[in-house]
Amino acid sequence: MQNFINEFTLNFIDDNRYQYIIEGFINTLIISLFAVLVGIAIGFLVAIIRSSHDKTGHMKAGNFLCRIYLTVMRGTPTMIQLLIIYYVIFATVNIPKVFVAVVAFGLNSGAYVAEIVRSGIMSVDEGQFEAGRSLGLNYRQTMQFIIMPQAFKNVLPALGNEFIVLLKETSISGYIGLTDLTHGGDIIRGITFSAFMPLIAVALIYLLLVTGLSWCVSKLERRLRVNER
Amino acid sequence: MSGNVLLEVKELRKDFGDHSVLKGISTQISQGEVVAIIGPSGCGKSTFLRSLNLLETPTGGSVVFEGNEITAPGTDVNKIRQKIGMVFQQFNLFANLTIQDNITLAPVKLGLMDKEEAQKRAKELLERVGLPDKADAYPAMLSGGQKQRIAIARSLAMNPDVMLFDEPTSALDPEMVGEVLGLMKELAADGMTMVVVTHEMGFAREVATRVMFIDEGVICEENAPQEFFQNPKNQRLKDFLSKVL
Ligand SMILES: Nc1ncnc2c1ncn2[C@@H]1O[C@H](COP(=O)(O)OP(=O)(O)OP(=O)(O)O)[C@@H](O)[C@H]1O
Ligand SMILES: [Mg+2]
Repeated sequence: MQNFINEFTLNFIDDNRYQYIIEGFINTLIISLFAVLVGIAIGFLVAIIRSSHDKTGHMKAGNFLCRIYLTVMRGTPTMIQLLIIYYVIFATVNIPKVFVAVVAFGLNSGAYVAEIVRSGIMSVDEGQFEAGRSLGLNYRQTMQFIIMPQAFKNVLPALGNEFIVLLKETSISGYIGLTDLTHGGDIIRGITFSAFMPLIAVALIYLLLVTGLSWCVSKLERRLRVNER
Repeated sequence: MSGNVLLEVKELRKDFGDHSVLKGISTQISQGEVVAIIGPSGCGKSTFLRSLNLLETPTGGSVVFEGNEITAPGTDVNKIRQKIGMVFQQFNLFANLTIQDNITLAPVKLGLMDKEEAQKRAKELLERVGLPDKADAYPAMLSGGQKQRIAIARSLAMNPDVMLFDEPTSALDPEMVGEVLGLMKELAADGMTMVVVTHEMGFAREVATRVMFIDEGVICEENAPQEFFQNPKNQRLKDFLSKVL
């Protein structure tokens, strides 16, 4: 027990080392939150362009660009994307690393969100679409009021899962020298040379975050399910 | 019964790839008419009906609705569809919306009514179809017959000039067919112009003002129900009737 207290003090209390964890935690939260928002925005946009193309045959150029984007984002490792965005694309400009990470993880997540949402749109019965159009609603109105709400509900579990993956994937942010939660823990390990405490602490915090996120998603799911018996 | 011509169909053709489904259909539908369309499965009844509101794009011929050729390029189909109601075999109620919102969505979003007006109208329509207590229910909570009555109410909310029905009772359990046919009968009695694809020969005989037999992509025979059923002339119609009656 005494040993535990000593270890704890060494890793978190001495020199206020807990602040590495706090800083990392905050950065991880900021990166994840904004990357999710960017991912949702890109993902819905791409999904709408792609399924509109499938349904109406319009937007050929848009569909083509989207497919290139999807192929690249899903065909290369996230870490390489992060490194390229940091060291190549933003090499000459001086912008905060957190911003770089948001861009990288947001772009990456957008590709997965896009395909999830597109599958959700396709899973909505064609009759729903026809009923909307037969009443005189135009394509956009039918999508907005009838198809998208149902698609969103259908893919909510998959989206929740994608956000959990994203949250955990931000743990590679250390590779561009950013103090995220993982990197924060690792800094402590480098100073104190004890692995157990900082790594377990970091793991527990991720676990807590993921559990909280899952809880929120399933609560939202239940609320959206009122229209089924 | 012979009011103004509402719909005029001229040499209507529809091909799916090299499969020619409609091979030149010409007919007129006048205000107040109730036209029942019968024919063997796969003969193109749905395709014909869906061509009338351009859910299918015809590959040839024309459809003129209230004097406007709606098959002409540049037609505002959304505007046209507001006046042509459609009721589907599978009901297609909006699963994400309450019954009231199902009924009010289109009139409100299309700017035809404000929200209160639309809700008042929805209430009246729910009374009319006999489901006044279902306003806040969701489609998944209703029986098939109830769903179809709501689907009819949703169409009526747009005050259409004509209503298209594609086998409205074919997906229903037998005990629910009556409630939907009864409602359609009331609509007909109120003077609604209706085009009904159906397998219900009783409905065609009693309610329709004209029955149309489609086979192999053409209208083989059309006539007033009495004559149509008692004195069919076309051989394929005779064969068909001998099987279904
Ligand atoms: N979207 C489509 N693509 C290709 N073929 C189609 C399509 N829609 C219909 N068909 C074909 O056109 C023919 C007529 O179909 P339609 O649905 O109009 O028949 P129907 O008379 O309504 O039959 P049922 O009584 O079974 O409803 C069928 O052979 C069908 O396979
Ligand atoms: Mg059919």
